[in-house]
Amino acid sequence: MRKRHTILIVDDMEINRELLANAFEEAYDILQAEDGEEALAIINSGTHVAAVLLDLMMPKVNGLAVLENMNHTGKIRQIPVFIITAADSEKMLMDAYHLGAVDVIMKPYLMQFLRCRVDHMVELYMHRNDLEEIVHEQVAQLSALNQSMIETLATIIEFRDCESGEHVRRICNLTDILMTTIGEIYPEYALPRTEVEKIVNSAVLHDVGKIAIPDAILNKPGRLTDEEFKTMKLHTVRGCEILQKIPSIMTEDVYNYSYDICRHHHERWDGRGYPDGLKGDEITIWAQVVALADVYDALTSPRCYKKAFSHEKAVEMIFNNECGVFNPKLLYAFQKCMEEVRLAHFSILGEQEME
Amino acid sequence: MSMIDELQTLGVNTEEGLGRFMNKASLYERMLGKLPKAVADSETLPCFENGDLQAAEVNAHTLKGVMGNLSVTPLYEGYSEVVRLLREGDPIGARTELERILPIQEKIIACILANA
Repeated sequence: MRKRHTILIVDDMEINRELLANAFEEAYDILQAEDGEEALAIINSGTHVAAVLLDLMMPKVNGLAVLENMNHTGKIRQIPVFIITAADSEKMLMDAYHLGAVDVIMKPYLMQFLRCRVDHMVELYMHRNDLEEIVHEQVAQLSALNQSMIETLATIIEFRDCESGEHVRRICNLTDILMTTIGEIYPEYALPRTEVEKIVNSAVLHDVGKIAIPDAILNKPGRLTDEEFKTMKLHTVRGCEILQKIPSIMTEDVYNYSYDICRHHHERWDGRGYPDGLKGDEITIWAQVVALADVYDALTSPRCYKKAFSHEKAVEMIFNNECGVFNPKLLYAFQKCMEEVRLAHFSILGEQEME
Repeated sequence: MSMIDELQTLGVNTEEGLGRFMNKASLYERMLGKLPKAVADSETLPCFENGDLQAAEVNAHTLKGVMGNLSVTPLYEGYSEVVRLLREGDPIGARTELERILPIQEKIIACILANA
């Protein structure tokens, strides 16, 4: 048996609503609204509406304003809207079409035809919505799978580097906090939340190139020789070469962020970083942020060649440029969110590892 | 004589109206029964008297739709003309047309009320 769907009838004239209700009540559940305001309250309440039969000229909120709101909320893609009209102006009808109305039904209408048109469109939209949901679920599954592959890869590298996989998680957390804070303070660095999330996911692979560095150098307990350091620095470039070979495990955006972060997370504001010697805002803000997060994490974590420094000591060293020069705006943002950074960071790291 | 037959003599296209309501006479009569209130809610002549041409157009447009759906053809055509003339910037012509159809409207409403 066909599932009963709900149709919303919007008209300021009771008689018009009744007419339509009579035509559809056999096959549908009916909701009625006597103006646009009531209609939007129903549409935006989460009630499942399979179609809207909408009058254009109404008091308070008119039909075009209902369509505008449905565009704004994205509901117009999920619910077919039929304009039921007694020949409004051509401009009004064109506006309605441009705002996503699927059909214009002129009064007087024949009930049978109207029902056929609405039935077909409801079926089409249900089918489309189902398909979109399936695709959405599959994309989410695929994306989660890819992300877990990326994280697995990063964790393997971390273990090889004498560290636990938690380094990756800490860097992601710090990147998130710093990107959000700097965007709030400096509009020129503000990015939409969706982009920040992509950057956070991309930060996972910042050290992927370390897989190409010999164990003797990567895990050397003492200071590296100049020659060894030169090899160590290659992990940025090697990382990009690896990413170029596995572009399909991530979306294009994440690939671009990952590539940039991987190559430039050791660049410094004064141009004395590597591998390209970029300076200032030649370095993207996300690469700068991951660089600072990486330094903070390296300082506050135990490594095979050193013990962990305290949060206060690490901050002092960063502000004294002991780990290279950072963007003053980034340092200001870091200062503003320092407590959040400390709490998030040490909740993962665990106080027992502190010096 | 049934209400539908009486209305036919007043120019209502009841055959078309019944067809529109899937030949359910009771349903058609029930909807016709709502017409007096709809007309009272959208009275158009007072709008002309108050000089509110915009309200006159809205009300005439509303009644045009209602009359069309119920196949009250003389009033549907009359209100269509009122709307057209108002949109063309001829309020005097629109009012003249409205005053022409109001006696017909009165008779149709009286017939519906008498059969209520």
